[in-house]
Amino acid sequence: MNAARSAAAAACAALLAACGGGGGSAPPVVNPPPPPAISRADAWRFLNQATFGATEAEAQALIAQGYGAWIDQQLQRPASLELPHVQAVFATYPPGADFTRLHEDRVDIWLRNAQNGPDQLRQRVAFALSEIMVISQLSPLVGFPWGSASYYDMLAQGAFGNFRELMEQVTLHPAMGVYLSMLGNQKPDAARNIRPDENYARELMQLFTIGLVELNLDGSVRRDGQGNPLPTYDQQVIEGFAHVYTGWNYAGAPNFALARPTIQNQAMPMQAYAEQHDTGAKRLLSYPGAVRTQIPAGQSPQQDLDDALDNIFGHPNVAPFISKQLIQRLVTSNPSPQYVERVARVFENDGAGRRGELDAVVRAILLDPEARAAPASASAGKLGEPLLRVLRVWRAFGARSQSGRLNAQNIPGFIGQGPLQAPSVFNFFSPFYAPPGEILDQGLVAPEMQLATEYQSSLLTNYLFVLSFCYNTAPVQACPPVPAGLQPDLVVIDTAAERAVAADADALVTRIAERLNGGLVSPTLRAEARAMVERVPATETSLRVAEALYLVSTSPELALQR
Amino acid sequence: MDRMNRRRFLKAAAAGGFACAFGRTPQAVHAAAAGTLAAFDDYKALVCVFLFGGNDSFNMVVPRSNAEYNAYAASRQNLAIAQASLLPINPLLPDPSGALYGLHPSMPEVAALFEQDMACAIVANVGPLVEPVSKAQFQAGSARLPPQLFSHNDQQDQWHSLKGQVTATSGWGGRIADVIAGPDVPAPLVQPLAVNLSLNGQSLFQTGASSVPYTMGAGGPVQLFGLDGADPLSIARRTAFDAVIGANYPTVYERAYAGVQRRARQAAGMIGDALAGVRSPNPVPFTAAFPASPLGTQLRTVAEMIAARDALRVNRQIFFVATGGFDTHDAQVADQPGLLGNVSRCLAAFHRATVEMGIASSVTTFTQSDFGRTLTSNGDGTDHAWGGNQLVIGGGVAGRTIYGRYPLLQIDGPEDVGGGRMIPSVSCDQFAATLARWFGVPDSQLAVVAPHIGNFAVRDLGFFV
Repeated sequence: MNAARSAAAAACAALLAACGGGGGSAPPVVNPPPPPAISRADAWRFLNQATFGATEAEAQALIAQGYGAWIDQQLQRPASLELPHVQAVFATYPPGADFTRLHEDRVDIWLRNAQNGPDQLRQRVAFALSEIMVISQLSPLVGFPWGSASYYDMLAQGAFGNFRELMEQVTLHPAMGVYLSMLGNQKPDAARNIRPDENYARELMQLFTIGLVELNLDGSVRRDGQGNPLPTYDQQVIEGFAHVYTGWNYAGAPNFALARPTIQNQAMPMQAYAEQHDTGAKRLLSYPGAVRTQIPAGQSPQQDLDDALDNIFGHPNVAPFISKQLIQRLVTSNPSPQYVERVARVFENDGAGRRGELDAVVRAILLDPEARAAPASASAGKLGEPLLRVLRVWRAFGARSQSGRLNAQNIPGFIGQGPLQAPSVFNFFSPFYAPPGEILDQGLVAPEMQLATEYQSSLLTNYLFVLSFCYNTAPVQACPPVPAGLQPDLVVIDTAAERAVAADADALVTRIAERLNGGLVSPTLRAEARAMVERVPATETSLRVAEALYLVSTSPELALQR
Repeated sequence: MDRMNRRRFLKAAAAGGFACAFGRTPQAVHAAAAGTLAAFDDYKALVCVFLFGGNDSFNMVVPRSNAEYNAYAASRQNLAIAQASLLPINPLLPDPSGALYGLHPSMPEVAALFEQDMACAIVANVGPLVEPVSKAQFQAGSARLPPQLFSHNDQQDQWHSLKGQVTATSGWGGRIADVIAGPDVPAPLVQPLAVNLSLNGQSLFQTGASSVPYTMGAGGPVQLFGLDGADPLSIARRTAFDAVIGANYPTVYERAYAGVQRRARQAAGMIGDALAGVRSPNPVPFTAAFPASPLGTQLRTVAEMIAARDALRVNRQIFFVATGGFDTHDAQVADQPGLLGNVSRCLAAFHRATVEMGIASSVTTFTQSDFGRTLTSNGDGTDHAWGGNQLVIGGGVAGRTIYGRYPLLQIDGPEDVGGGRMIPSVSCDQFAATLARWFGVPDSQLAVVAPHIGNFAVRDLGFFV
């Protein structure tokens, strides 16, 4: 009944939007035409790009507000945070408890924020950033749950800020310092054959900011006369930056050698200790328009860092490199060069002369005609990754648990992907990955396909099976009873509205398609799901819902983010 | 649903996993059409053990004679392994220079494979090259080089693909599968299962131009719940599921994903049944104890897959297993013993299992890694470099031998291009070509697998009997 009321309200809202609202009497020549009404399918598509999954309520709000107003409202919402939760859980630990288990609570609060956070756009962009500026729990960071949570909070809080500031925060975050070993990086000592660590110097440029080869503003590769890509830097430049990043360690120590991690300082920016900072001159990136290509000798660690990060931030690659990857994370694996260029221009200048303003970039990505016009090509959209696919179902069906915990069942273990759990700094997948076959042959990419192996896809299919049949508000009769200990934490989806219409097979399939995809469902899937439902007696509503939901949620068309 | 076993379900649910929950009906191994196999009617397996992150292999195989050790120790400083702790190895053919070598003290199992079993060879200072290159050529910029040297993913890609200076779209394991099942061999391989099987995710190494690898978990494939029952509802569900993943779709992403789902459906049952046949309560084919580490689990499953080769009706298999943590920028002294010790125990257990099964001479295991690491240190770790040492193990290996040329580990020495980065003495193409020839790739097709092999005088390093 709720859903029916919601649908009616949505229809009302759509009607209002279509009428332009207001109904004032401004001169018609000045007034722009009212924006076209947002259809349900449009709303679902937008929300699957901008949130962790469309819901009836969010779709209503979007249809009533329009895209721009919805984004503007989201840009104002403060970040839902992880660190306070992790700290609160730790306060309940007995002395001597294994605190690496706090990562389960870190994942729990990540899932809660993704499922329920009002700052959906911010959280979705933070997740995208966490797949570009990667740290991972699968590393020495297993011992740094507070630092990992703090790192994610930094991404969420910086998701709509300035990219140059984010670069600095990422660089000085001790979680990144541990992960890519800038923390504790010493100045050279020729007598002992010690040279600065090149790890962070390399990956900050290769993966987080400019990439390996020069790009045009539209994201295409620049080439020399022989058709070879032009490298952005060489080993000497890496060594220059490696020298820049010397002398930084955990904050609050009397000197470099005595710096040690604490619960507090793993969430505080690293501190410079001058005695281990190399004070020689250092080579930087050379490119047209570079303010300086060399750091003079004798500067402080912070001065060196400022100059080095300014040098990278000023590189012409940053705008297309970051813009394209954010488009890939939010909208499509294969944006047109024109789409990349339109967004990259906003990265270079937000309209008020500022460079790297991520709120403007996100807005440009989501409001671009290529993101909003009906998908027209076989390469429009992208494959959903496991976390996004699970959350899409969870949010559509109001997943919850009695206790409020959402990770008591170790969701990443079920589905083969967890936040801040990439196997390496190269993320779960490469932005350049192209599976063999037509995607590779056509020069396209499908990054998420790198994670979609036979093994991983089967894990996800099986999770959707148990969600459909057992982990919901009306498990089918054959499901085993849940042990009492697990009961409060069991994440269940609410299928009451589906059971209400389950006597009518076609209505049931329609209802599920409405929830998951704004109503879109292919004729094949509709026919197969309907026929399957009709094999189950109409009185067995739970089983009917389970059969239909399983087939729809595991289908290739639901693996797609349109 | 109907056949669900409640106790197992609960146990699995409580453990946070569902692997056993919606179990399959034990079935006979799926019958699959296999053609006559003239050229490939025996069995051979290649097992690639990838050490992600760049194994510091100049601390894995270390000079122990005084002059060479002193150069090493001067370069390595606080990261040097103590001379007296090295496990001596004595190659059948001593180094003409008189240099002696030893293994990292955490690798006694590999030392025994080398010394006693003579089933282990070392390929010294191997790495990606387009053509042979000298230090002078490197410094003058006059030799063709693989691009983006010293970067993780680029050098991993080089090892996987042997791409040289072009963009990589296939790997050499994949191309071996293409060749042996393709029209350019007299009797192409036909078998019901992919040649390339990964137990550690998708890898470029196994991607062919025409052949498609299959990826399973460390313990085997995941069976899809609820699709294998014999009751009418399960049959209907299976039929509907297969119809949905068998349909055509408008986008490339749906089509690619549906392909993965179809391959998952096809292979999981066949492999699951075959593995069940060699696992308890059925008689297990070997007693060798594998470490409980992820690498040990993967290699145990590979051994079981090899045990099940007849049931699977396969003649050629290339397995990909991997373990990470080798990017020792930090805490190298503390971490390396655990990393190398695990590799040593896993490799030895796997070899023992193949010996027990009487199949050792048909199975060759080899390591690969992103790169060797700098001889210089950053205080407590090392950085990305170029050439490194690799292990080749198997009953068919001409073991107790070091192939290639072990370099003088001296900063600014004759093979150092800066910071203690060694120019490889042997190319990945040569390494791959040697393995491919053993596996059955005809000489006429070797350049398909190893595109730059023609640039090197020796195309078979000779590490097979």
